[in-house]
Amino acid sequence: MIEDALQYDADRTLTADVCVIGAGAAGITLALELAGRGVDVLLVESGGHKADDRTQRLYEGAVADERMHSPPHRYRQRRFGGSTTIWGGRCMPFDEIDFESRPYVGHSGWPIDRAALLPFYARANQLCEAGRFEYRAGEAFHRPLRPVIDGFDSQYFTIDGLERFSCPTDFGARYEHRLRASPRVRVLINANLTDIRLNAAGTAADSLVLRTFAQRCITVRASRVVLAMGALEIPRMLLASRSIQSHGIGNQHDNVGRYYMCHVAGTIGTLIQDGNVDRVWHGYDISDEGIYCRRRLQLTEQTQRRLQLGNFIGRLHHPRITDPAHRSAVLSALQLAKGMISYEYGKRLHGEEKLSVSNWLAHLRNVVTGPHQVVGFGYHMLRDRFLAARKFPSIIVRSPAGRYSLDFHGEQEPLASSRITLDSACDEFDTPRMMVDWRYSDLDVRTVRESVRLFAEDIARCKIGRFEYDPGSIEFEMTRYGAYGGHHLGTARMGDDPRTSVVDRNCRVHDVHNLYLAGGAVFPTSSQANPTLTIVALAARLAAHLQAEATRERSSISTTRPVAVPT
Amino acid sequence: MKQSVLVLGAHGFIGRCVVTTLARSDFATPILGLRHPASADARPSAIEERRVDAVRAESIVPALAGVGCVVNCVAGDMRTLVESARAIVDAARQSEQPVRVVHLSTMSVYGSTVGLVDESTPLRADLGPYSQAKAAAEALIAAYPRSVVLRPGCVFGPGSEQWTTRYARLLTAHRLGDLGAAGDGQCNLVHVADVAQAVLCAVRIAQADGQSFNLAIPEILSWNEFMSRFAIALGAVPVRRLGGRRLKIETRLLAPPLKIMEILGGKLGLRGLPPPIPPSLLRLMAQDIRLDAQRAQSELGVRFTGVDQMLTETAHWYRQQVASRQ
Repeated sequence: MIEDALQYDADRTLTADVCVIGAGAAGITLALELAGRGVDVLLVESGGHKADDRTQRLYEGAVADERMHSPPHRYRQRRFGGSTTIWGGRCMPFDEIDFESRPYVGHSGWPIDRAALLPFYARANQLCEAGRFEYRAGEAFHRPLRPVIDGFDSQYFTIDGLERFSCPTDFGARYEHRLRASPRVRVLINANLTDIRLNAAGTAADSLVLRTFAQRCITVRASRVVLAMGALEIPRMLLASRSIQSHGIGNQHDNVGRYYMCHVAGTIGTLIQDGNVDRVWHGYDISDEGIYCRRRLQLTEQTQRRLQLGNFIGRLHHPRITDPAHRSAVLSALQLAKGMISYEYGKRLHGEEKLSVSNWLAHLRNVVTGPHQVVGFGYHMLRDRFLAARKFPSIIVRSPAGRYSLDFHGEQEPLASSRITLDSACDEFDTPRMMVDWRYSDLDVRTVRESVRLFAEDIARCKIGRFEYDPGSIEFEMTRYGAYGGHHLGTARMGDDPRTSVVDRNCRVHDVHNLYLAGGAVFPTSSQANPTLTIVALAARLAAHLQAEATRERSSISTTRPVAVPT
Repeated sequence: MKQSVLVLGAHGFIGRCVVTTLARSDFATPILGLRHPASADARPSAIEERRVDAVRAESIVPALAGVGCVVNCVAGDMRTLVESARAIVDAARQSEQPVRVVHLSTMSVYGSTVGLVDESTPLRADLGPYSQAKAAAEALIAAYPRSVVLRPGCVFGPGSEQWTTRYARLLTAHRLGDLGAAGDGQCNLVHVADVAQAVLCAVRIAQADGQSFNLAIPEILSWNEFMSRFAIALGAVPVRRLGGRRLKIETRLLAPPLKIMEILGGKLGLRGLPPPIPPSLLRLMAQDIRLDAQRAQSELGVRFTGVDQMLTETAHWYRQQVASRQ
């Protein structure tokens, strides 16, 4: 059942076994999994089925350094389906090392290991429509694949790790029919959480206050509450709900909003191959199930430990699009068409660089010299991306000169100083807006610097050619576009010690016995991996935990009930 | 001494398998009830054949001589389905000796019901004339106390045109594949050999009288998963993701002319025409109905074939069929 709170003609009070706030990847997964396990769920979403400017504006906030972080209403969608409505679809699990406490990565270590999450990763893969949970090329493909770089043999990097691509699945559109049909799910759209009210002792979420643009107030009382609103909104709501705990919920030790991570990412250097043979395959391989898969270079765990680096992956990539020296008609056409590409995708494609007139003319010249390439690329994108149900994941352009850049994506070290706080300005519902102060560490720079150096060494040692880059530009390139957009992590971290974390290993807020958090907010570290798959796996794990808890509660009630003794 | 079992509809896909299974058993002797039996010396096997018009009780009664059980595998149009059930029951009542009836029904009798469905679920029969006819036939059979009703899901296996060959052809042509939300329904597969095994058990266990039994694999398997795994077993890879637009073209634009071609082709003896994807097929693949077949396992002792084995063996059979035609 799906209800629209804007249709309510009076204030209401709703009750639920479990109330989940936020219908994105985590919230919808929770609702599906809980309903499948026989638990009744109220799933509350701020937005409606379509993007709405007024609702989206509730996400607006301030940024300490605009060069380092996008405005908070970007890369997020406040609507049914959440940010999966603009998701790129890249799926990969976290590695074992990501869960470990590593002395060289500050504040690292999860209270659970990968094995605890493994049973839920397979389900996450299903929900993300990314095929089987097989992330090694040797497992997923039973035919020989063209080498990523022919002749590349490295002791520092693995090269058979896969990233798999979702359709990408818009969780709202994809699973709406299941939520609608389930007798255990009640979805309420256009209802905005404005306050979490604790009991007087501060030990339980007593009620939730929802408000609508039609000035209705809805009070929700639920046995359990799960906030699945994303890692920026969760700390904002916890900090803003101060009626009982003056410093915000779960914030006794000043951890809420801190340790904010994205990923460090960028594109650097040029691979120049020896000879006339192009040894590079930087495109996608399609698995038997029809899933686009891509291999990437990944720093081995051994190398990470030995050199005390964070996790890191790289892929070969087309040259930087803004520089017409690449002489690619397709890349230049994309540069000229930048106005047609959304902010979220355009930012890393063409940046926000102002091009000179001569550069524009040079791009135009590139296009004029290769119109057939542009038409061929346009047809490919039309057929395989815009019209396809499973979309070609990204722009893959072969380099006519056999030159490629290195696209990298690295772990970011959690820093207490990187944080979300409340701003003095408020949104339409008088909830304080957020202030984003994203920071990165020396380790983040060193991880990228050393990884790129090792890659260049490997290329030379394997006699493939040379990888040219400016070691002095590492920090500039990894922050050229600021924090990686959309990967919001760590702002209510998981841990066993309430002094250094916000939720326990079961994602329950320390000391608030019925309040849980789902999503990237609970990640203690960020890995190299894009977060959505792990967000979904953690949500499935939380659903299993909540069901087990509810069952335990029911059985304890039934065993403690007085039994009539025959006389 | 073995019990004689008259099988009606013995030349159909399920009927053939039932006859073979009964013939291999140590307690039943199948007798084929056919409209046009072959002469004794022209028969392909030693199995007895008797002349029967399955929609006329007076034609069935003589064929029941010495028979302890009738298995109804009759297929055909809606009238045939209902009338054959009526005729079998009438004939069984008129028989000189007691006769039991094992009736092959279908999951379609549950109609548009969703969720986990056991045998006590009311029969909605609201999915068109076929489900109505099968439900009406079941009602007639159930009125006869010595009857057992079997409700199989989608009967899969070598020789099944509807649930095997048609899907294999559509998958190899990449006209079916991963349908997204349109393929989220549960695929209640059951191997034809398991259906035949259930018939054998029902013939043997007289205590099953008056009961009905769902027949489907215990695994939860969506249509998307089935099609993906079957396509991979067939080598029809990569599996294609088909969106709503493509499915609308199939069901609204292509299905009507393909259906006409199929009918005309059938009359002209043309084979290999592309099968249509009717809207009813899409409706089925979106229906989240899951047959609970626990009773068949616990009371009849049916053991269902695993999905992997079913798909691998059937894909192998299909590839051989294709190769033999080339």
